[in-house]
Amino acid sequence: MIKKSVNEHFPSPLPGEAFGDRGAFMRGALEAVTGEFGLDGASFYEHDLKNGLLRLRLRHVAGVTFEHQENLRPVPGSAAARALETQGRTAGKGSGGSFLYLPFTFEFCDPSGARATVPCSSLIRLERSPRRRGFTASESAKAEAYLRSYLRDYYKAEFLSLNRKYDKNIAAITELTEVFATALRVRDSFRHILSGIQTYFGFDRVRLYLIDEKNRKLKGELSADIRGQIKSISYEEIPLEAGAHRFADIVLGRSSGAFMERYKDCVLYMPLAVQGVTIGLLIVDNLLSQQKIEPQELAMLKSFGGQIALAVDNSRLFDKVEELSLYDELTKLPLRRYFNQRYQEEFYRAERFKQPLAMVWADIDYFKEVNDTYGHQIGDKVLKEAGRVILSNLRKIDFPCRYGGDEIIILLPQATGEEARRLAQRLSQELNEVRIPVPFSSAKELRVTLSIGVATFPGDAATMDSLLEKADDALYWVKSHGRAGIALYSEVAAEKAKAAAAGGEAKNGDTTKV
Amino acid sequence: MLIWLLSDHDHRKHVAFKNLLGRFSAAYPDARAEFVVKSRKSMWESLFAHLRDPKRNQLADVIEIPQNWTELLSRLGLLSDLLPHLDCLAQRRFPEFILKELFYNDEGRAFSAPWWLEAPALFYRPQALKGAVADPEKELATWEGFRAALDRVKPPPRRPAFRALSVPGSSGAAAVTDVLPRVWGRRGGLFSEDYNRATFNREETIGGVDDWLELAVSGKIELFSAERFETGPQPAEDCAFMISSRKLQGASRAGLRMLPYPGYPSGGGLLLAYNLAVTSSARDQGAASAFVGWALEPRNAGVFAEGFGAFPCLKPAFEERVREEKEEEVYRRLFAAPELMPNIMVYPTAELLLQRALWRISLKIVRGDFDREDLLRELIMAQGEADYLLSLY
Repeated sequence: MIKKSVNEHFPSPLPGEAFGDRGAFMRGALEAVTGEFGLDGASFYEHDLKNGLLRLRLRHVAGVTFEHQENLRPVPGSAAARALETQGRTAGKGSGGSFLYLPFTFEFCDPSGARATVPCSSLIRLERSPRRRGFTASESAKAEAYLRSYLRDYYKAEFLSLNRKYDKNIAAITELTEVFATALRVRDSFRHILSGIQTYFGFDRVRLYLIDEKNRKLKGELSADIRGQIKSISYEEIPLEAGAHRFADIVLGRSSGAFMERYKDCVLYMPLAVQGVTIGLLIVDNLLSQQKIEPQELAMLKSFGGQIALAVDNSRLFDKVEELSLYDELTKLPLRRYFNQRYQEEFYRAERFKQPLAMVWADIDYFKEVNDTYGHQIGDKVLKEAGRVILSNLRKIDFPCRYGGDEIIILLPQATGEEARRLAQRLSQELNEVRIPVPFSSAKELRVTLSIGVATFPGDAATMDSLLEKADDALYWVKSHGRAGIALYSEVAAEKAKAAAAGGEAKNGDTTKV
Repeated sequence: MLIWLLSDHDHRKHVAFKNLLGRFSAAYPDARAEFVVKSRKSMWESLFAHLRDPKRNQLADVIEIPQNWTELLSRLGLLSDLLPHLDCLAQRRFPEFILKELFYNDEGRAFSAPWWLEAPALFYRPQALKGAVADPEKELATWEGFRAALDRVKPPPRRPAFRALSVPGSSGAAAVTDVLPRVWGRRGGLFSEDYNRATFNREETIGGVDDWLELAVSGKIELFSAERFETGPQPAEDCAFMISSRKLQGASRAGLRMLPYPGYPSGGGLLLAYNLAVTSSARDQGAASAFVGWALEPRNAGVFAEGFGAFPCLKPAFEERVREEKEEEVYRRLFAAPELMPNIMVYPTAELLLQRALWRISLKIVRGDFDREDLLRELIMAQGEADYLLSLY
């Protein structure tokens, strides 16, 4: 018998099949043994010991090798049954032809990732049609030896495959650790975490839910599919109560039952906990493909559970810190730093798409006096109310900001001067209707008015600085003309021009309400 | 170019494809084409393995798929649109019942091309029915009539291997393809008509599955057949009835006659179609599409399907084949108003869920500890899972 090396058995694996793949290996073995011993067919069965079944995996006949799913039982006492029982080669002859059964035990690497191997009992059947001669003893011995030589090479292939798996795992551990660490610094950190998991594990779906403690809800965040496409699942809200939903039960540690047992092979529910406190739930599943999640993958993902939870929690904290640094706690309006960034973006957009951009600059009248007379607590209340009124009157695309002290700027994309004026009127009116109680004072309550200047791009100004300047000019005009009013820069400019033309009559104190 | 072909219980299909590819290579000597025969399970796993890690798990350029995998695979981005490449698709040269599921989304795109089809039917040997069935056409029209006839058939003397019923396409356990024709016969199904909920637990569906399983429980069919392992499929001469979706080899020699599947007296019923698709990762989309176009040509598809007792899908070839059939009248009834399995995203997974349930039940039947409650429990669980899938996809 000629012993071939593994490379000789597989000079060029078919495209689409990894070298060393078990199927490709058996394909080579069946084709070679058929040719070498002049067979009419050869089949490879896995022996399901638990159910006493032979599972056909691969068959070679009439020059074609094919995988096939067929689960059959050997007849008790038949040649096949004897071969499995004695673990020795057995020949037999029947109406179907002559058969030689060769039992083998393959040692698979433990799919759970443990260092042990799992024995897999199998049977190879060599076949000759009824019209042809049967298998002689010496031919049977040769065929067995021939196939055993393949088996030795099989282990080399198995080793190579195992080695590749370890390489992949080490790469995954290194790179995922990096992903979870950098998730702190990226803006869209949840996306980063989910796409990291999908890149290395490739589940049918990964979903992230976070606990909203305040509202006692489990809220959907993001979902990533097998193609790595990520979408928001913020529409999913689950009450965090026992019995309300399976996910809620899992987070609350109350889940059990047949359904969970049935799901365990293709779904992993991973509660995310930081310092003993559950902050969310990560769900990975292979429900669409119904493929088992390899125990090794499960173990690895579980070992990352702590890091994922920490990364998610840190991202949330990071967002909170960012919120604190970008928003004014009192008015809940964005601060000047944030405004500067958004102003650039909005101005660029308006310029590029040739759309109007209005700027409303408001100032709370006599705010310094309020502070001095009634104290900072009352001043803070005034600011709070002003913030509330503004936030409740804006469109989604508008951007307000506490620009400093009692000055508030609102950017109104795609709005004309008249539209900005209407908003300013609404804000003034609503704030004017607010009564702020003032204890220990004869006035009992305080009413607040606003002075507002409005300028627009491109009508009033062509640059960012110029737009700010023109809105400030309009505001100054209102303040210098009795406060509690609204002025559009275009009108202020027209008034100023008229006054200048009239020879400076306005300089003599003839104020005109705009 | 690499082609993945679905494996078949009838080895003649693999040989027919090998011959087809031989003719293709002779016609186009510069085109290099190879094929690998994959089981349905292995094909499914390979497709998902590619989605998980495309670099390590390359796809073939052309794949054969059950027609109702098209929607799922196209949504997962695995298939290319064939409509611009194939005139037969653009001109819709297929029977209406195929077009209905092919252009399911009516998006003006077709991600697979119908290749061949098969229809489950009942074959019987008049000689074996003597004394048991007087008027086969009438008595075997209903499931109940067929079931009663099975009980009446007696094995002939000195024929120990004789069985009243044989199912040549059996994979050992009760399978989805075994039970669904009967489920359809009872007007059941796996999903409601609007596909908003699973209906595994509907009376008609349970009844259909139960009808088939009863054949196994009562010993009319043998699950995980030991004889089959030793001698292969039961020869037609050794049985009275055969349920098969293919024209059987040597049917005339064995004196076999044919009738529609019991329970469809007016014909019609479930029909299975298999399509060719070009994968989106095919290295040469043009060449792969050209091969599909060539394989679908009336003569090529006709010879290939004839090779293993199936029918080509292309209308002219299909009609010619039906005209040539000895049992033309029965086939006309079979194809009068057939239904294909729905081409919706979760259907292939739903079939897997049902298959798993049937596997567990088959084992119980063989062990002798099957109870109808087991079937109800399994189908309730499978329905829950299918409903959950519907909510996700």
